Amino acid sequence: MTTFDSRSLEQASELSELTIAKLHSAADGVVSLELRAPDGADLPEWEPGAHIDVLLPNGIVRQYSLSGDPAERDCWRIGVLREPASRGGSSFIHDELRQGDKITVSAPRNNFRLIDAERYLFIAGGIGITPMLPMVRAASAQGKPWTLLYGGRSRNSMAFLDEIAGFTGGEAHIVPQDEFGLLDLQKFLGEHRADTLVYCCGPAPLIDAVEAKCQTWRSGALHLERFAPSDKASKKEKGSFEVELAKSGQRLVVPPYRSILDIVEEHGCKVTNSCRAGICGTCLVKVISGVPDHLDDVLSYEDQEKGEVMLVCVSRAKSDLLVLDL
Amino acid sequence: MVDVRRVRGGDGLTEIDEELDQILDSVVENTRLATESFFASYDKNPDKKRLAAWLAPRAWREIDYVFLLNEQIRRYGMDFDRKHITLLAKQSFQEAEHYEIVGRAIENLGGTVPTEAPAEAKPWSDFLWDCLERHPLAAIAAWNCSETSASGSFEPTFKAGERHDIDEIVRVYKQIETDEKFHVGLGRQILGAYTRTDNDRDEILRAMRGMRDLAWKTFTPESVAEARGV
Repeated sequence: MTTFDSRSLEQASELSELTIAKLHSAADGVVSLELRAPDGADLPEWEPGAHIDVLLPNGIVRQYSLSGDPAERDCWRIGVLREPASRGGSSFIHDELRQGDKITVSAPRNNFRLIDAERYLFIAGGIGITPMLPMVRAASAQGKPWTLLYGGRSRNSMAFLDEIAGFTGGEAHIVPQDEFGLLDLQKFLGEHRADTLVYCCGPAPLIDAVEAKCQTWRSGALHLERFAPSDKASKKEKGSFEVELAKSGQRLVVPPYRSILDIVEEHGCKVTNSCRAGICGTCLVKVISGVPDHLDDVLSYEDQEKGEVMLVCVSRAKSDLLVLDL
Repeated sequence: MVDVRRVRGGDGLTEIDEELDQILDSVVENTRLATESFFASYDKNPDKKRLAAWLAPRAWREIDYVFLLNEQIRRYGMDFDRKHITLLAKQSFQEAEHYEIVGRAIENLGGTVPTEAPAEAKPWSDFLWDCLERHPLAAIAAWNCSETSASGSFEPTFKAGERHDIDEIVRVYKQIETDEKFHVGLGRQILGAYTRTDNDRDEILRAMRGMRDLAWKTFTPESVAEARGV
């Protein structure tokens, strides 16, 4: 699955070369790749929601969710949909790569963590099922009630159906569009459930529809991963920018009328603060990269000039992206 | 890296900045010594009721600030920017929260939460309200000095927390420590922004000097003993 967090080769960290131990068709237009260390050693640990960068020999970098079992330490699995408008990423994987080939990948990063909850609602569209599989497996293992709502164009295009059938402790609703139409979001999201976290991954129309349905849900209940930048992010509002939380890898859009502090808090990141007006300095945060636009009244001009720290209650960004030590 | 006394917003205090800092440094140090002295006595006699009595004037300060800040806004607020009215109201809300959490800590120690000024806090309270009567900025200068003084009590209290089972008090003081930075910065910004004349500066200095001599006194073991009549 390609996320919008597209990084350059130079930015990918802890690269390793893995062998494609198994490559097979998982559904129409979807291949599943099992990756192992050439010597069979354990791979770095990961948690549900994690993804890796795949650095293709043609120089293209793509991100794919890990869809296997985190307990299986010597193997990572990814699922790759052939994108109709592929610019050499998914088409290269489908057309050029073979079992036994080696590919370079980054260590796992996680922008889509599974947060502890009493129950879960997982909503997947198409290849968006890939990050959901380890999440459903984890919920099932923890004995947490779960519901999976999985839509696709047709049954043949929907990957990993056999695997889903083996999950216990919850209910899976498989909804091929040519048989049942679109996912019935109203049925599952129409009523706010305080004990439930919603995880959704899929194409933009699905994500937007889920977001709209969750307007009445409590803040923080909905967790999304997109295939591509949202229209909101790509057609950037004037004055908006993105912040990346370095500790979790989460990337968030800060609209012009909201503060960084509001947005990061909304996504479960706690920052000490008091005045929220640029006076007390308690929300001071280290800036790892990007250029802050200082709007506070208390940092010295020298510190503002250096740009190594900022007060996230009022200050904003001169660059499109700020990476913060949060 | 962040010094709330250097907050920007106006240069009305420039001429007296140095003296104000000396006053504030002095009251912080006196409060630190008074707090250390109290906890040294508490080490010898860790009676929770004494700790509750030590916290009582702190609780009163919090709720007295609520009354005072709201009166400050009612009486003089229209001479301030709207932003400062909002921030004073926010400070007032936080002081009310402090009254609530300090009050809960006092009750958990078996003490009684004051609902009127305790005798030992009366000179402090009277001076504060007298400042409000005298000049639109004097009470702000007085509470700014008093709020700054609190910073002298934090470290000795946190250190005492390592020796005694007073986690709740440490937690309460951590919250007050965070909010106190806001209150000190806000007070300084308002004073800097609205001070115009030598008379304004004289009143501010008078208020700060007066509070310097009072703010730390209720933290001493002697004050606590007197309040408990022992």
